[in-house]
Amino acid sequence: MKAPFSEYLNSLVPGLRRLIELLEQDFDYVSVLSTDSKGLAVRISQHSKSVGNKTMTTERGTVVRVYKDGLYCEYAMDRFDPAAPEAAAEEISKALTAQLEVLKATGTAVYETGRLEDEPLELFVEKEAEQLPEEAKLQELVERLTAISDKGMTLSGHMLDCMANAQSTHICKLFLTRNRYLRQSYVYSEGSVAAVVGRDGQNKFGYKSVSGLCGPELFDTLSNKVEKAVEDALTMLDADRIVPGEYEIICSPEVSGLIAHEAFGHGVEMDMFVKGRALGADYIEKRVGSDLVTMHEGALCAENVTSYAFDDEGTLAGDTIEIQNGILKTGICDALSALRLGVKPTGNGKRENFEHKVYTRMTNTIFDSGSDSLEDMIKSIKFGYLLEGMESGMEDPKHWGIQCILQMGREIKDGKLTGKVVAPVIMTGYVPDLLGNISMASPDRLVFGSGGCGKGHKEWVKVSDGGPYLKTIGRLG
Amino acid sequence: MEKYIEILKASGADAWEIIDTKTTGWEFYFIGRKLDQNRAKNVEHVTLKVYKLSDDGQSLGIASAEVAPTESPEALKKIAADLVYQASLVKNKPYRLNTPKKAEPIKAELRPLAEEAKAFIEAMNSVHETETEDLNSYEIFTNQVERRLINSEGVDITEHYPSSMVEVVVNARKDGHEIELYRLYHLGACNPKTLKEDVEETLQIGKDRLLTKPTPALGKAPMVLSTDAALEVYNYFLDNLNAAYVVRRMSSFEPGKPLAEDIKGDRINLEALRVLPDSPSNFAYDSEGAPIRDTVLIKDSVPQEYVGSRMFAQYLGLEDAFSVSNWKAGGGSKPAAELRKGRFLEVVEFSDFQVDSMTGDIFGEIRLGYFHDGEGNVTPVSGGSVSGNMADNLAEMYMSTELRQYSNAMIPAVTRLENITIAGVE
Repeated sequence: MKAPFSEYLNSLVPGLRRLIELLEQDFDYVSVLSTDSKGLAVRISQHSKSVGNKTMTTERGTVVRVYKDGLYCEYAMDRFDPAAPEAAAEEISKALTAQLEVLKATGTAVYETGRLEDEPLELFVEKEAEQLPEEAKLQELVERLTAISDKGMTLSGHMLDCMANAQSTHICKLFLTRNRYLRQSYVYSEGSVAAVVGRDGQNKFGYKSVSGLCGPELFDTLSNKVEKAVEDALTMLDADRIVPGEYEIICSPEVSGLIAHEAFGHGVEMDMFVKGRALGADYIEKRVGSDLVTMHEGALCAENVTSYAFDDEGTLAGDTIEIQNGILKTGICDALSALRLGVKPTGNGKRENFEHKVYTRMTNTIFDSGSDSLEDMIKSIKFGYLLEGMESGMEDPKHWGIQCILQMGREIKDGKLTGKVVAPVIMTGYVPDLLGNISMASPDRLVFGSGGCGKGHKEWVKVSDGGPYLKTIGRLG
Repeated sequence: MEKYIEILKASGADAWEIIDTKTTGWEFYFIGRKLDQNRAKNVEHVTLKVYKLSDDGQSLGIASAEVAPTESPEALKKIAADLVYQASLVKNKPYRLNTPKKAEPIKAELRPLAEEAKAFIEAMNSVHETETEDLNSYEIFTNQVERRLINSEGVDITEHYPSSMVEVVVNARKDGHEIELYRLYHLGACNPKTLKEDVEETLQIGKDRLLTKPTPALGKAPMVLSTDAALEVYNYFLDNLNAAYVVRRMSSFEPGKPLAEDIKGDRINLEALRVLPDSPSNFAYDSEGAPIRDTVLIKDSVPQEYVGSRMFAQYLGLEDAFSVSNWKAGGGSKPAAELRKGRFLEVVEFSDFQVDSMTGDIFGEIRLGYFHDGEGNVTPVSGGSVSGNMADNLAEMYMSTELRQYSNAMIPAVTRLENITIAGVE
């Protein structure tokens, strides 16, 4: 079935069109983004169980962007009355005028920017979903998650808790200007199983997830994850500490995805180019990885949690090849940064929600596949590790440093897995070295969308990332 | 608010709760010293939560919904009915919501947004830059918040407070090489003096980062923390006192049971505070209506009281527990200068320093550290990482007598952990 577009948003359109007309009397450009995204969240553990409708991306509100004299200003509100656009226009003008008075009093100069184009475009997209979060069979879902949690507890005497979570969000967004009328509706879902084990005062945590551009039907696959989550947690309980050093490593697809995200996801967000915060700006058309490295970024390059039809500035979604055979080709860009840099926007202007500013943000960030088997990769290693499971990552686009905190490393000696495991593992290093040393890539690849991404330490949005198994050299600690 | 109360009263829920948060905010984004964009917002978030006992009274269901202020009365009635049904599907051990309890109100000085915003802009204007150290970009967020909590047991609390945030990126450069440092300050009202000092200190740190050499592989060595990274260390203790951790058996902290045997270092002292000047979290009540008390949580490395949400506190039989908003970690026995002795690594800038409260694991990539070789030589270093576990440091860690505030926490200005593995890049 098609995920139906919000009737509430349709009801706002005449009032929003009038609001744009009113604001255009004072401003040279006006756009409106209105959102109405509903969700479902079920969280089951042995000690706490709840049902709710709030996810990371549920929202209902309107943000208005206006432009005059080289300056863009925005006003976010959640009580727009389509029968009274005049009142909204007055509220917006009053607040922004008061701000401009403070800016004048403080002698603040403006970073002047040109006016956005407003090419005519009409788009209506309703993507497929078997079920909607608003209509999910809740009783069945609660029973399924409870069964997963209960089963996890039976798998080991060291289990402390087993959490099973399911979230689904039906995104509806409307973008309007004088000439653009864009509407989209889609559903994405994500689920996870987390096993907590403890022994002799030491606790460890195993985690497996699923995600997709689909409805709550996704959660049918969650039951398969509990054994592996428990097994990973128990494995880490018996793990040793790694001896810090540089090793030959094989990155599992999840770890490859984290590297893609941290290395040349954040590193080529072009609002950072505007601020001179990214080394990538100086490396366009230069080598940043081995010939095996080709990386895509865009809402269109995979079907996962952030595969929209247009971004939060009304730019159509894209599929950008950032790195081709090791050569950095381009970055990704929101509309205002594109204006400032004199390039085309790539459909990567995203907000945490309507209350937040647009920044250049990632969508799906993915390494291309290769032709080497995992078995051949393992055989090729004298002493190293197969790295699995991600906990967190941090970028450093100015210096191309990278920090990845990973769940575990499986030891490889003389071309064979020894069964010995080290955990946790922190991988650090210089991005061009890490990518430059990629010498093998597997033909299969996976995409993961269960996490969130911040800009610095705020502005959280959904992203997905992934890739194949990659062999390289990394510094582990 | 009345419409929500009436609908929940008629819904068939056994208990309910409403949290209504209204925020007006102004935001200013700068590139260098120039304004990139200004924004304003006026929004309201209403969360309805219902509780439903099973027929035999042996289990309690919980369901919640955030409702848009534009929802129609008919839609709200359906949402309430759905919540009661949804709550009936999940089974928790029963507990009781908070009942009304008196607490001294906290007087928050709320200036008009225009004044508050002007103070922040002027504070940033006053930051002294040099030819080689300057501001790359910064963002100012200033909000006024009204939060009202009502529940079916008679709790009805309204608090007004300022909530602000400043993000700053600074650059330093030398001989064609440029580096950046990032800071995010969570604040209440603007304190221009503190903000200016903190940003200028960051500019100085940036200058030092240009002089770094690769971090040597030190193996096991003491690590000194003198920035907000140390908050992670103390949050480990705070989290392990949380009733949710205790009920889930993820924490082994027990009131009266020492955190470690044969403690050689300074002893941990931790307190919850109602008020901390300039904190964005000065509340009389927590988010469920429990009064916040000045409370000793750990005394001389011996836990005294658990804290946490109503649900898990009740499961432990605690009637007066609350969720901590402000807190203070006490100082140790020696001044900061005494803790900077011998061979050690002081790290002032990480990519992302973390202490996992559940496992105790410590991680962080070093962006700027100072290696003291024990013979009077100090070398700025970068690269490599630190790792360890809190369990290996509980018996010997040191805290300075001097304290320093970060947002809602007051902690020792210098913290020294003796048992850390330092992986270098050489």
